[in-house]
Amino acid sequence: MDMNEIKEIFFQECEEQLAELESGLLKLNDGDRDPETVNAVFRAVHSIKGGAGAFGLDDLVSFAHVFETTLDCVRSNKLEPTQDVLKVMLKSADVLADLTNAARDGGSVDESRSRTLIRELEALAHGEAPAAAEAPAPRPVAAAPAPVVEKPPVNDEGFQPIPFSFGDFDDEPAGHYVPTVQIDFKPKKDLYAKGNEAVLLLRDVSRLGEMSVYCDMDALPPLDKMNPEEAYFSWKLSVTTEKGEDGVRSVFEFAEWDCDLDIRTIEEDVVGETADEEEPPMQPVPFDLSMLDEGAAGASAGEEQAAENPAAAAVAAAETASKVAQVASRAAENAKAAAASAAQASQAAAAGQTIRVDLDRVDRLINLVGELVINQAMLSQSVVENDNNGTSSINMGLEELQQLTREIQDSVMAIRAQPVKPVFQRMARTVREIADITGKSVRLITEGENTEVDKTVIDKLAEPLTHMIRNAVDHGLEMPEKREALGKNPEGTVRLTAKHRSGRIIIELADDGAGINREKVRQKAIDNDLIAADANLSDEEIDNLIFHAGFSTADKVSDLSGRGVGMDVVKRSIQALGGRISISSKPGQGSVFTMSLPLTLAVLDGMVVTVAGQTLVVPLTAIVETLQPEASAIHSFGASQRLISIRNSFCPLVDVGRILNFRGTQANPVDGVALLVESEGGGQRALMVDAIQGQRQVVIKSLEANYTHVPGIAAATILGDGRVALILDVDAVVAASRGQSLRQDISLAATG
Amino acid sequence: MASKKAAAQKSLSLAPVLDLNEASALHTQLMGLKGNPLVIDASAVERVGALCAQVLMAGAKSWEEQGQPFTFGKVSDPFMKTMQLIGVNIDHLLAQEAGQ
Repeated sequence: MDMNEIKEIFFQECEEQLAELESGLLKLNDGDRDPETVNAVFRAVHSIKGGAGAFGLDDLVSFAHVFETTLDCVRSNKLEPTQDVLKVMLKSADVLADLTNAARDGGSVDESRSRTLIRELEALAHGEAPAAAEAPAPRPVAAAPAPVVEKPPVNDEGFQPIPFSFGDFDDEPAGHYVPTVQIDFKPKKDLYAKGNEAVLLLRDVSRLGEMSVYCDMDALPPLDKMNPEEAYFSWKLSVTTEKGEDGVRSVFEFAEWDCDLDIRTIEEDVVGETADEEEPPMQPVPFDLSMLDEGAAGASAGEEQAAENPAAAAVAAAETASKVAQVASRAAENAKAAAASAAQASQAAAAGQTIRVDLDRVDRLINLVGELVINQAMLSQSVVENDNNGTSSINMGLEELQQLTREIQDSVMAIRAQPVKPVFQRMARTVREIADITGKSVRLITEGENTEVDKTVIDKLAEPLTHMIRNAVDHGLEMPEKREALGKNPEGTVRLTAKHRSGRIIIELADDGAGINREKVRQKAIDNDLIAADANLSDEEIDNLIFHAGFSTADKVSDLSGRGVGMDVVKRSIQALGGRISISSKPGQGSVFTMSLPLTLAVLDGMVVTVAGQTLVVPLTAIVETLQPEASAIHSFGASQRLISIRNSFCPLVDVGRILNFRGTQANPVDGVALLVESEGGGQRALMVDAIQGQRQVVIKSLEANYTHVPGIAAATILGDGRVALILDVDAVVAASRGQSLRQDISLAATG
Repeated sequence: MASKKAAAQKSLSLAPVLDLNEASALHTQLMGLKGNPLVIDASAVERVGALCAQVLMAGAKSWEEQGQPFTFGKVSDPFMKTMQLIGVNIDHLLAQEAGQ
């Protein structure tokens, strides 16, 4: 494994950490004050910093460092995570993501932005510091005793300290067994070089519980012989904490490779040893946290120490002795605690084990399973053809095989299925940025972010969604003042929802803005020659005009959403995914965009039809209904156009065989079947085919990859009898019926 | 800061943030002051890292070897507390009048 691979893993982990960071910050933003959430956020930044240090990514390290410092203030209750604070933090998370990307892909970062944020973060970190130093209120170290008291009820590891009732109730602090952990900690040079700080580690340990510390300075050379960046100090710590060894280990989690570390719980059998070890040579300085509560007390304690070092040692010894007594009397409880923590550990390990797999391997597997499905279909077809009794055991076996292949296919597809969460999270960032630029106040609510969909769909979803969110905030939502005047909450809401519905994923984007200004849209369409000035359009048709190319209602071309690539691009990308998009808008109440997407791009539900002797597959998603045309419903229109009347409305009738050049003349509609399809622009067309064979799931094979692009054809599939069937590109066929002709090479391709 | 009657006595004001980056600078500063009685003003210190603590302690050791006084004139609260936290006892180095 070379350095680049390790680096790649680091960046993958960064992505996860960044997601963790963002979701944690958003939780905090929603008022979550769980210390574990703050810790998770802190850990995320910390790990990025640690890893970045190892790879010498200085920009990343320095930014992460400032960010971490500020987060640390939040963690130590020095800084209240208000909305304003979190705004800065969320922005910082964005910059951190940018820096990570820049470090991976090269490219540059908006330096002024990160500099501004560094200043803001530092201001936050320092803003509270002087006040905190004066007041007796929580300082990082002084705050420690409080959490210790609070911790038992919120113990996140599910380990409830067992109240001990041995008789000696008068011994108040020993109400239950609290393990004492001994730590030998010798940092290496790298620890500091990577931006870790022994002081912070010690402070974190001190927060776990009552700590005594001894600093070993023997290795320290005289000033002129020392390297100021080398590590000379080492520490022996002993801490009495509810969290036990695991809690202590988690403090050193990110530093353990850069130091010599020995962590052990003082057990009954080592009591004698530790007592021996600790007493005369070490003289631990009892670090009484409570004395830091008041400056005066601290000073007096310090003086006492200075004056009577032996006395301090005696105190320490006494302390150790009392701990020893505790340990001894709680030996039974200790065993229980150990068992409990072991149980937790295994539980934690069992939860969410994952492996990273190269996407190519998964795709290869999916491809092979696709082949398997086809092969199985071919096999069963040939068995059916050769065996007319239908009773043979082969048939039974085949049915089971069919079921198995279907199950295998489903499981393999599930491997590619990923929650839409990462995309939604990216949208949160988009919303923040646009809200900032436009000066609007926006709240993004996401729902159903754990809805799973094929990875390809997810990857291709980000771009259209970003466009739509920009539009929603830029065009949809009003300015806060205007909203207030209208009696709405000045803070606009954008709601992003994902859900499964009948084998497809529905993604809805709703804003509570002004809705579509139909007058304006109509006028714009007339100005842009999209519609005739006197065209009579329904509200729905007007709404759908925004999906036309080159349509933008913004008066000025803004930085955000007026680049000429608007909703038409969105629509095209959604359609490229085999999806549909629709809009519903209520003036004054907002608009809702609904996207319906297939769960996977590897299989497709299709209707198998016959056209001029050829077998074609029409994607089921495009079909609204099928009908048998009657002669009385067919009306000729112009030279070659025909219309079909369906429930009092007329719809152009399109002969697929003619469009694809399968035959020279138009077929008689009465002999065929009409498929009513929804096409680009919202209009409906009746596609005429000769017959419907059935409906089935087909495995999509790319024509582009194996042959070349064929106009009017989206892809191909292999049918049960081993023949290739082409999958119809409905929109292309409809477009061709409007006059743009397809090229002539189709009939050649279709004979496969 | 306050230079006392002894003519050769030097003073050194510590930066507010004594982190990794500051360790080398502090080392150089101390090296330049060697051989003189030294009063260190730590009143502005907000954050001390272990590396700077090492440099200061190495300094104290060297000054002691040369028989020169090495004292902390004024110390800030964060400085004192960090030193206590990491188990570095500087009480014998505190100037007598600095009782906080």
